[in-house]
Amino acid sequence: MKLAYFPGCKINFYLKEYDLSFKSIMKKLSVELVELPFNCCGYPARDNDFEISLFSSIRNLAIAGQYNLDIITPCKCCYGQLQYASLQWKQLGDKTEDKNLKQKFNGLLARENLFWDGNTKIKHLLSFLYNAIGISQIQKRIKNRLPEKRVVTQYGCHALRPFSVTGFDNPHVPQIFEELINITGYKSVEWSKSTECCGNPILKRNRNLSLKILDSKLSAAIEAKADYICTACTHCQIQYSELEFQKECTKHNITPILFTQILDAAL
Amino acid sequence: MFDISLYISLSLALAGILLQIFKLNKTSSARHKLKNLKFNIISGLFNTIFQIKLFKASRIRWVVHFLVFAGFIFLLLFHALDELISMKLFSYYEPTVDPYQFLRNFAGFIVAVGCIGFLLKKFYSAKSDQRIKGEYKNLFSIFLILLIICSGFMLESSKIISEPIFMEMVEDYAGIDEDSGLDDLKVFWAKNYNIVFEQPVVSSEELLEEGRILNEDYCLYCHSKISSAFVSNILSDGLKKTGSVLNHFRADRYLYHIHYLLSFLMLISLPFSRLFHIFLIPLASLKQQADVKTFQNRDIVFNSLTLAACTDCRICSDVCSVYPNFVIADNINVLPHYKINAFKKIISGAHLDVEELNRIKISNDECTRCNNCTDICPSNIDLQSLWEKLAYILNQTVPEAACLPDTLQFAKEHDILFSPTSFKNCVQCTICTNVCPVVGYCSNSENDMTPQQIMNLLRLGKKKMAAKTQMVNNCLTCYSCQESCPSEIKVTDILIELRQAGTKC
Repeated sequence: MKLAYFPGCKINFYLKEYDLSFKSIMKKLSVELVELPFNCCGYPARDNDFEISLFSSIRNLAIAGQYNLDIITPCKCCYGQLQYASLQWKQLGDKTEDKNLKQKFNGLLARENLFWDGNTKIKHLLSFLYNAIGISQIQKRIKNRLPEKRVVTQYGCHALRPFSVTGFDNPHVPQIFEELINITGYKSVEWSKSTECCGNPILKRNRNLSLKILDSKLSAAIEAKADYICTACTHCQIQYSELEFQKECTKHNITPILFTQILDAAL
Repeated sequence: MFDISLYISLSLALAGILLQIFKLNKTSSARHKLKNLKFNIISGLFNTIFQIKLFKASRIRWVVHFLVFAGFIFLLLFHALDELISMKLFSYYEPTVDPYQFLRNFAGFIVAVGCIGFLLKKFYSAKSDQRIKGEYKNLFSIFLILLIICSGFMLESSKIISEPIFMEMVEDYAGIDEDSGLDDLKVFWAKNYNIVFEQPVVSSEELLEEGRILNEDYCLYCHSKISSAFVSNILSDGLKKTGSVLNHFRADRYLYHIHYLLSFLMLISLPFSRLFHIFLIPLASLKQQADVKTFQNRDIVFNSLTLAACTDCRICSDVCSVYPNFVIADNINVLPHYKINAFKKIISGAHLDVEELNRIKISNDECTRCNNCTDICPSNIDLQSLWEKLAYILNQTVPEAACLPDTLQFAKEHDILFSPTSFKNCVQCTICTNVCPVVGYCSNSENDMTPQQIMNLLRLGKKKMAAKTQMVNNCLTCYSCQESCPSEIKVTDILIELRQAGTKC
C-alpha cells in the first residue's frame, strides 16, 4: 500500500518523535509513505480567513492527487481540516459566488500545473489502522506484548466531530482508540474526559483557560489511576507536554505518550 | 602603486568588517551576543567548504555556486597569493609552467561559467517568478567577479602577444642578440607562442629548427606549451590583428593595473555587499540551531549578525508552509525572505509606520513555525528563532490587536452568517451551552456569552456585537455544540466565522 504522508507543520520541529515512530510503524506494517511538498493544511488560517484555509487544503489535496495517492496524517487537526475542506469544495454548487471561487482556485492551481479532481481521500492514523489494516492483522504482528499499564485516551476533537464531516468514529461513544491500545498489552481505562478538548486551540488566545482545561484533564486522568495519557494528535501531545505548565504542576505525575510510540514498541 | 592600493584596500576592508560586525552585534541584546551562541563545529565546516545545505536545496544552484567558489578560491590561493603560497609549496612553481598555467585558465574558466549561469538564473527568475516581479538586485558582486576574471584573461593574452615583454625576457634570461640567433628564436616564438612582432618575421624550416634549439636552451624550463592556457590562447588569436597597436601602447601594463584594482575593489566591497556572506555563512553554519527545548523554555537566542549571511537566495520562500496565504491574500510579507528584510529594517532603526508594522505582525503570526525554512536555508541561518524574536519585538511595538484587510469578496457573500437560514431554526434549547467546555470551565466574568446566546444575538441581527464577545474568542472549536444540536445548526462553524469577521477591519 502506498500513501502520501502529510506530517503537518508542527511535527518537523516540535514533535520529531511522532514523525519517527509513525514512519517506523508504517514500515513494519509495510505501508509505503511518499513525502510530497505539502504546505500547511489550512487549520491555523481558519481563525482568520476562510478562503486561505480552504485553498491551503485544496492545494495539498491537488498535490497528492497529482500522484494518485491518498493522504495519511497523524495529526487530527490536519485530518479534520482536510476533510472539512474537501467536503466544502465538493459542496460548491451552481451559485455565482461558488463558481467564482472554483474558477479562482482552479486558476491559481493551474499556475503550478495542479488540478484537483476531488478523488483524493484523507485518512487518519487511527482510523486507517482500524479500518484499512484491521485489528486482527495488527494483533498477528505484535511481537512483544507490553506490560499491563493503565492508559487513558485523548481522542482529539477535530477528527471526532462533526461526524457528518469527519466520519471518524461514533462521536459520542468512540471506541477504536481503546481497541487499538488494548492489542498492544496496555490496558485502556475509562475516564470522563476522553472526548473533551485538550485546550491547545486557544493556547495563544487565552493561555489561562487553556491550561485550566489541561489541569482539569490531568486531574481526571489521575483520578482514573492512569499511568499514561495516550494521544494520536500532534496538537494534543504538544499541549500535554507544555514544559512550562509541567513545571507548575509537578503534582500531576502522569506522562503523555504518543500512540505510535506504544505500537512501535509492541510491533 | 600596487603596494599602496593593496594596503589601502586591505585596511578599508578590515575596518569595514569590524564596523559591520560591531554594528550588527550591538543590535543583539546582551543574552544574544556572539559569545553566548552554541557552536557545532563539524557540520559548520562541512557547510562552509562544500555548501552541503545548498546542495540539498537545489543541485543546479549548487553547481553554479560551487564553480564560482572553487575556481575563485583556487585563483585566490595559488594565483593571487602565489608569492606566499604557490612558491613556498612547489619549488618549481612558475606561472607559465604546466600544470599551473592550465589550472589557472581552467579555474578562471569555471568561475566565468558559474557567473554566467548565475546571471542567467537571475534573469530567468526575474521574468518568471511572480514573487520577484522583475527585480534585479544584488548583481554588483557577480559582475565584479566576472570583470576580474575577464580582465585576467585579457591581461594574460595581451602578455602572450607582447613583443616588449619578449624582449625583456630575452635580455634577462637568454642574453642573445641578432648575431647569436635572436631572429631564430623570434621565428619560433611567433609560430608557437603567438607573439606579434612589429617587423614581421620570415619563417623557414631551418630557422624554426634553430629557434627550437635556442628555445630548449633558454626558455623551455619556464614556458609550457601555449595551448594549455586554453582561454587566453584563443583570446590572443583574436588580438593578433590589433597586436602591434596593443604592444605599442603596452596594453598589458594597463590591464595589469585594471586587474588588480578590480580585485582590490572586491576586497573593499566585501563587508558592504552581498559578498559579506563569505565570512558570515561560516559563522551561521557553526551556530547550533535552536531545538524544541529552547523553544519550550522560551530561551530564544538569535544574533542579528548571522542574518547578514542571508544571500537573498529565496529558497526559504519556495518551501514556506503558508505559501497559500501569500497566493490568496497577496500579502508578500508572509514569505520568509520578505520577513528577513523587514527584520533587517526594524533592527537598523529605520522608521516604519504602524500600518507596515501591523502587516508584518499579521504575517509573522500566520507563520506556523514548521521549520522548513530553517531546514533548507543554505546559509544555515536559524530562522525559526528569528521569527520568535520578530514576534517578540512586534508584540512590544504593536501591542493592539492587528486586523486584516478585508479584501475577500467570497467570504462576504458565502458566509453562513449572512444567510439567516443557518441559525433561524435555533429553538434556544441550551444543549449547546450545556456541552460547551468553555462555559463549563469559565465563570461569568471570564466568558460573557454562551453559544445559545450567540445564536440569539444573530437572530436579532447583532452580528458585530456577537463577533466581539469573549465566547467567540474563547471557543475551542471542539465541535461539541454542533454535534449535539438537535436542530442541526452549525454552531461551531458559525462561531469560527464570527471569529474571522472579528479579525477584519
